[in-house]
Parts: sequence; structure tokens; C-alpha cells
Amino acid sequence: MRSLLRWVPLCAVVTAPELPLGAQERTTLGGYGEVHYTNATGPATPGAVNFARFVAYLAHTFSDRIALRSEVELEDAKVEGGKAGGEVGLEQAYLDYRLTDWLTLRTGLVLVPVGIINETHEPPTFHGVDRPAVDHDLLPTTWREIGVGAVGAVPGVTGVSYRVYLVNGLRADGFSAGEGIREGRQEGRQASFANPSVTGRLEWARPGLKIGGSFWYGGSANADSVLGTGSFAAPVALVSADARYDVGAASFRGVVANISLSDAAAIDARYTTTVGSRMAGGYLEGAYDLLHALAPASPQRLSAFVRHERYDTQADVPAGVTRDASFARRVTTLGLTYKPTWNTAFKGDYQWFRNAGGAGEHEVLSLGVGYQF
Amino acid sequence: MSVGLALLLLAAQQPAAPPAKLAASLARIFGPGTRTDTLGVDTTTVLRVWHGDSLLGFAAVGNVIGKDQPITFLVAIGPDDRLKDVDILVYREPYGGEVAYEPWRRQFRGARATDSLRVGKEIRSISGATISVHAVTLGVRRLLADLTAWHASGAIR
Repeated sequence: MRSLLRWVPLCAVVTAPELPLGAQERTTLGGYGEVHYTNATGPATPGAVNFARFVAYLAHTFSDRIALRSEVELEDAKVEGGKAGGEVGLEQAYLDYRLTDWLTLRTGLVLVPVGIINETHEPPTFHGVDRPAVDHDLLPTTWREIGVGAVGAVPGVTGVSYRVYLVNGLRADGFSAGEGIREGRQEGRQASFANPSVTGRLEWARPGLKIGGSFWYGGSANADSVLGTGSFAAPVALVSADARYDVGAASFRGVVANISLSDAAAIDARYTTTVGSRMAGGYLEGAYDLLHALAPASPQRLSAFVRHERYDTQADVPAGVTRDASFARRVTTLGLTYKPTWNTAFKGDYQWFRNAGGAGEHEVLSLGVGYQF
Repeated sequence: MSVGLALLLLAAQQPAAPPAKLAASLARIFGPGTRTDTLGVDTTTVLRVWHGDSLLGFAAVGNVIGKDQPITFLVAIGPDDRLKDVDILVYREPYGGEVAYEPWRRQFRGARATDSLRVGKEIRSISGATISVHAVTLGVRRLLADLTAWHASGAIR
């Protein structure tokens, strides 16, 4: 049928011309990575370099509707028995079964859909060498758990999409005063399913703008006889909201999150900790692409940015626990991100770590390289 | 409507572009009461859209790979070679489906093959959909260039 004028008479059945074929069974590779130089002690002393993350992305398409996506991550370049540092982990691995535009069933190790960084964590997508501190101490990125769920576009409403999952719960024995729920994650490693938890997200997108709201609710007692054996014993209730806005050369993003631990008193008594009954905070970031004015024709970007974070993992504490003001933290980051292509980034920033207690305040200079493909 | 049926039969063997979606897309872009015939140019099938005896324009379906899945899209141009609209017929990626939203697609309307269509400049991106935004923008640019060139050379008319 090449270069042949083909006329399909109305209602007549003729051999169908070839439209481009879609998915056929195949395997795809991808990845991302980041190398960091950090100096937390000033110019007089040496800094440290670290291959912070090397991630291999592997996907396989089984049919037009079923696909596997996975990421295997190597942290700190090397893992050696008996030595500290280094971690190999499955960052995500799930099967998607796409039924319609508004319903894809997802099963496996999934990224918990809270905040901005947890799901979109490739280094060229965010400013700063390190992820925001909020996305470590408050929202525990990279947070992934095993479960089932559904994702898709909300039908009938332009720009709105959702994700909702039922996954294994957090474990209260990992909670801490300084990093909140972070070490309560099970990350797919022989995880207990004593506390099935629900998490989800609703997103609204327009060109240049994305606004999202997320939640997590589920127990954390892990059938502990003291904390309770119910499915929702020692509940963790998380809500967060985030926004990203790009206009011309300027871009802005912000995240706020609140985590309530109503049984913090029991958890603190059981594990002799001082975990807060409420953790809260967020950040605001603004960036400006200097090349927008200096070299308007260039597809490259050189962005100056500033980010201010405020969070407290002991925003409230249960009766009998004394608040430690040094957990009420403020982090200010000033830096540059140079992106010769949209998927590579050279970064540099200076950070001021402050807290209400005035303890352990410090400043850090960081340089980094990141990529994704 | 017989056009719908013809398209249905035409596209029945095409898993990449469900016939109902293709028909709905053409009806949305060119309006109701049209009929369609096809022209083969190289390996691409160009749909020619008529209303009565007047030619409304051309359309073609393309695929671009996003992160790992093909994104099946349609580009329609008028007889003046201006892009009428872009449609996402099938989106298969886990993240980035925002490229199907009308407020994003509408940025391409009226563009010519000679116009600059760059992400972050003429085409605003969407956070969390960067890969798809780049892929679809590239795909649209190529298909728009092809359609325009074929139209100029008389391969489609």
C-alpha cells in the first residue's frame, strides 16, 4: 500500500491500512544517579565525596496492557559485609495492568504517593545536591511498601488524576524522635502485614502547574501485645499538600505535611523513645533561570534557587515527654543548578542548618552531578 | 454514522489506536458529519477528512516512546498546514498522563512546521510528566513536519 492512493468507500470493508503498531513485548533499560561532594566543616578541612545513588531502571512490556517497572538501587557505591554504609535495595517493582485511562491496577512494591520527591526523585528534577531535609526527616523518602492499588485519570474532570493503594503498614518499633516515622518503613523486606494501611493522592495539573494532596492512614503496632493487636492499633495519620508552579523563567514549589501519632504515649513507653505525637513542617522554594534572560535561545538552564524548610518531629509530644527544641529545625539552602540537557544536572549549594535548641547547628557546602535516562 | 463504522473497521487491527478513540478524536477536531479516506505515504497512513466535497484537513497517528512505553498520538492539520490539534489516543506509562489533558495539548494549536516548539519555551512543561512532555513534543514536531512536507510535495492533497 506504499504511496498508493487508497480510498475507503463508506461502509465498505477493505484491507485495513497500517497505522503504526503500538506496544509489543520488549524490555527497556533506564536509570538515574547522583554523585555528591559535601563539606560540612569549612574550607580548612577536607570534604567527602560519595556516589550517593546509582539506580538501574528495568521495565518489561508483556502486552499492550501489562507491564513491569522496577528500580534497583545501589547507595554509597559499595556494600561490604561487616562494614558500615552502602545499601542495595529494590526501590520499586510492580506490575501494571492498564484497563482504561481511568483505571490501571498496580501490584507490587510501590512508591507511597506523598509529597513531591518520593515519587519524582530523579536528581535533575529537583534543586539542591541533597533532597530537601523535609523529604528525609518528615516524609521518609524513598518510601516504598508492598501492596495493591489503582491509578488513573479521574474521568470527566480535566487535569485530575488519582492513586490509591492498600499496602503493608509502618512499624512503631522503628520510630524515633528525630526522624519520626522514617525507620518504621518496611520497604518490602519480609514485611509484616499486621497493619494494612491505605495511602493515596489526588493531583490537579495544568501546563506549568501541579497541585497535589496526599494521605496515609494505618496502624503501626505490628500485633504487639502492649500496643494492641488490632489492624489499626497505634495509628499513623499523615496528610500533605504540595504545589509546583513554573512561569517564564521562574519556578516555585512547596510542600506541607502533618503526621499524627495518637498513641505516641504508648509507643514511647513501650520502646523507651520520645517520639512526638505530631510531626509537621514543610518548605518553600523559588528558582530563576538565569539563561532565560542571558541566552533566550538556549535550551540549557542555569537556575539560582533558594529553599527554606521548617519542620519539627516533636511538634507535639505526649504527656510525660519533654520536648527537645533541637528537633524544631530550619534549613535554608542557596544554590545553583546547571542543566545542559533536561535530564542532566550539575549542582552546587550552601546550606544553613539551624534549630530552636541551638544544638548542633552547622553549615554545609555541597556539589553534585545527577542524571536520568 | 458510516464514517464511524468505516473507521472502526479500518482500525480494528490496530491495537495502538482503538477505533472508537480515533473516530471520537477526529469528530472532536473536525466536527460532526465528516467522512474520511486514507492515503499511504511511505509507512504512514494519512487520514484525509472531508465534509461533503470540501477538504477539512489531514491527520496521522504516531507513536513515541516515553520512559518505556509507546505513547500513541494523533496530529491533525488543516489545508493551510496549520496544526489543528493533537490528541493522545493511548497512554500507557505509569506517570505523566497529563500530556493527554486539553490545556497542555492546546499549546500546539495553530503551529506550523516552521514554528519553534520547544519544551520550556513555547511549550510549557508539567512537573512529574517531563519525559512524556518531551517525547510527545518531539513526536508532534516530526509528524507535523512530515505532514507539511508531504502536503507540499503533493504526496497528500
